[in-house]
Amino acid sequence: MAASTKAPASGADATSGARRQQPVRIGIIGCGAIAEGAHLPAVLSSPEVELAAISDLNAARLAYLRRRYGLGPIMFRDYREVVGHVDAVIVALPNHLHASVGVELLSNGIHVLCEKPLALTRHECEQLCQAARSTSSVLAVGFVARFFPCTELAKQLVESRFLGELRSFAYEFGTPGGWSPLSGYNLARSTCGGGVLVVSGSHVLDQMTYLFGDVDVISHADDSRGGIEANCRTWFAATVDDRPVRGQVVLSNTHRLPNRLRIVGEHGTLEVRREQTRSVTYLPARSTLRHELTVAALPSPAAEPDYFQLQLRDFVNAIRTGAAPRVNGEQATRSVALTERCYAIATALEEPWCEATLERLTRARPPAAPDAVAGQWPVQAGVS
Amino acid sequence: MNRHSPRRVLVTGATGFIGGRLCEVMALTGAAEPRPFVHSTGAAWRIARFPLDFAIGDLCDGASVARAMKGCDAVVHLARGGDAVMRRGLENVLRATVTHRVSRFVHISSVAVYGSQPPPDTVSEARAARSDLPYGNAKLEQERRVLRYRRRHGLDVVILRPPNVYGPFASFAVGMVNALRSYDIALIDGGRNPCNLVYIDNLVEAILLALWRPEAPGQVFHVTDREPVSWERCITDHAALVGVAVPHVAAAELVPPARERLLRDSLRALADPEFWRRIPIVQRGFQWLPEQARQVVRKRLSDWEVVGRNGSPERRFRADHPFLAGQKRTVAHSSAKARRLLGYTAPVSYDEGMRLTEAWLRVARLLDGDPPRDEREPAA
Repeated sequence: MAASTKAPASGADATSGARRQQPVRIGIIGCGAIAEGAHLPAVLSSPEVELAAISDLNAARLAYLRRRYGLGPIMFRDYREVVGHVDAVIVALPNHLHASVGVELLSNGIHVLCEKPLALTRHECEQLCQAARSTSSVLAVGFVARFFPCTELAKQLVESRFLGELRSFAYEFGTPGGWSPLSGYNLARSTCGGGVLVVSGSHVLDQMTYLFGDVDVISHADDSRGGIEANCRTWFAATVDDRPVRGQVVLSNTHRLPNRLRIVGEHGTLEVRREQTRSVTYLPARSTLRHELTVAALPSPAAEPDYFQLQLRDFVNAIRTGAAPRVNGEQATRSVALTERCYAIATALEEPWCEATLERLTRARPPAAPDAVAGQWPVQAGVS
Repeated sequence: MNRHSPRRVLVTGATGFIGGRLCEVMALTGAAEPRPFVHSTGAAWRIARFPLDFAIGDLCDGASVARAMKGCDAVVHLARGGDAVMRRGLENVLRATVTHRVSRFVHISSVAVYGSQPPPDTVSEARAARSDLPYGNAKLEQERRVLRYRRRHGLDVVILRPPNVYGPFASFAVGMVNALRSYDIALIDGGRNPCNLVYIDNLVEAILLALWRPEAPGQVFHVTDREPVSWERCITDHAALVGVAVPHVAAAELVPPARERLLRDSLRALADPEFWRRIPIVQRGFQWLPEQARQVVRKRLSDWEVVGRNGSPERRFRADHPFLAGQKRTVAHSSAKARRLLGYTAPVSYDEGMRLTEAWLRVARLLDGDPPRDEREPAA
C-alpha cells in the first residue's frame, strides 16, 4: 500500500499548521527534455508549490533554463545541495540513477515524485520503498497515464463486469522513433534498463496490472542484439473472477501500430485509444454499432487538463494529507518486476531480412589489421 | 596500399535507413566496429538494438564532429538534411577527417546528380553530372567538395551513386505501398522504362568494398542491382502485395507540376465570358477576328478544362509525383565499373530482395493478412 503514512512530512517543518497552507518547496532533479517539457511548466503554473531548486550536472543546461524561464538563484550542480532548500523533489534523471538518488533524498525526509520506471530492478524498487517507509516520506511515481479519465473509466467498466466474462486483452502501441532524451541515456541498457518495454511499455504494464491485477508472463520475444529492444511481443496470463484471461502486448519503436488497448468480453469489445484520453469505445458483439463512453462529470473538451499538473496536485495532496498518491512505490514495483521477468525469458523475434544475406556481403573482406588499434590506423599516402 | 580493413568507422546518418542497416551489418558480421553519429537519440532505436559506441552530436557543430572522429579509421558519410547539414555539416566532417588522419572517406551520393532526365551517356559514370533537381544539385555540390579534399589534402575519398534504394525500412517501399493504397500511382506508357533499383544489402556490400579495396580511392561508382527491372515489374509486384490494380496512363495525360499549372490556370480565366465583357477593347478586337479564328481560340481555352472547381486535379495523376516522374527516366545506370574495380557482386537478386521486403512490410503491419508467427498465441 501507500508508502506515505504521515502528513505533512517535510524535513524542516513537518508539523506546523502554518506551513500546511504554504506552497510546498519543490526541486527538480535532472533537467532534461521531460523536465523542461512537462514538469517545469506544471510546477511554475501551480499555486500549491514553489520552485525552490533545480539540479543538473550540465551547467550550460542550468544556465539555459535560468534564462529561458527567468529563474532565481536556485541552480545546483550537485543534487545533494538541494537538501535543506526543498520539501519535495521531482526526480527526472536517467533511469539508472533513480534508485541511488531517490534513496538518498528519501532518507533525508524529502518527498519524491519519481519519473517512471521507478528503478531498473525490483531490488532497487524495494530499497526505495523501504527508504520512504523509514522516513514516512511520500514516494509517488510518474505514471501520468493513470490520470487520464479513460484509464479510470476502463477500470470501472472492468470491475463492474460491463463486458460480462472477460476473454482476452491486447495492447498494441507503436510509433517510428520516439522520445529523444538529451543525454542519450535511452541508447543503452545500463542506463535505461531496457528498450521499448521500459520506455513505452512501463505505462502499459502499469495499466495492465491496475486493470487486471497480478499477471504472469507466458512468453516474451524481442529484437535486442545485445543492446535495447526496439520491438517486443509478450503474452501475459491474468486471473479475473477466478477465470484465466490471456493478453498480448505488442510494442514497437520502428513502426506504427494501432495504439490502443482492446479488451474482449462476452458482450463485446472495449477500446482504449492513445489519442482518446477522455473516453473509451464500446463495440457490442454481433453489432456494427460503436458507442463512445465518457464519465458523467467530464469537463468540456476545451478544458482538457494538463495531466502533469494533475499528477503534481496528487503528489502535493499526498504530502499534505497523508493520503496515498495515485501511484505509489509498491504499485510501480510491479511493472518493474514484470519487465525483469520478460527479459529473463526473452527469445529472439524473427527478422528474416536481418541475417539472410550476411554471409554474402562480407566475402571480400581483407584481414583485419594487426596493428589496428583505435586511432592508430596507418595513414594513407597523400594525407597531409 | 591498404590491404587491411579499417576497424572503427564513423557512420554519419546512422539513424537513417541506409546507415542503420550498414551499422547492423558491421555489428553482426564484425566487418568493422561502427561508431554511429546520432543527432536525435529518439531516432536511433534500430541501431540501439546493438551495444554500439554512439557519438551524440550535431554535424553543424565542428567540436562534436571532432570528438566523434577521435579514434576512427574511416568515415561513411550518409547524413542528409537542410542546407546547413549538406554544406557545413559535410565540411566539418571532411575537416575532422583530415585533422584526425582518417584513412578513407566514403561519400554516399545519388544518381539524382544527373537530374530528372539523365542523358543516355549516363549509363556509366564518365559523363559530367548536371542536375535540374534541388536534391541533385545539393548532392553534386557535396561531391565537388569531397573531391576538393582529395585534391588539396590527398584524402582517400570514394563516391557512390545509388539509385532508388529498396528493402526493409526503405521509404521507397513504404511510399510505394501507401501511394498504391491511395491510388496515386499509374504505369506511364506501360512502365517500360528502367526503375534503377538497388537492394539495401547490395549497397551495403558496395560501401564495405569502398572501405576495403585499394582501387576505390578517387573513384565515383554507380551502385545498382545486377538485373535491370522495369517500373512495370516493380510497381506491379508491390501492387500484388497491396492487392490493388494499377491503372495505365499515357505521359501526355499527366497533370503538370504546380508552376506550370499556375500559368495555365491563369490563362483559363480568359475563357470566362465575364472576363471578356469587362475589357471592351479586347472584346472588340476579338469580334474583329474571323469566325474560324474565334472558334480556334474558344476551343483551345475550353480544352484546358482539366482542373477541378477547387483548382486541384480530379482523378488525374501528378507528373511531379516521385513514382511518376521517375518513370520518365530512360537510362539504366550501370554498376559495371564497381564490379570491375571493386569486385562488387550485388549478391541479392531482385526476387530475394522483394521477398525480404515483403516479410518486413508484414511485420510492420503495412500489408493486410495474417500476423507474423511471433504474434500468434502460444500453446497453453
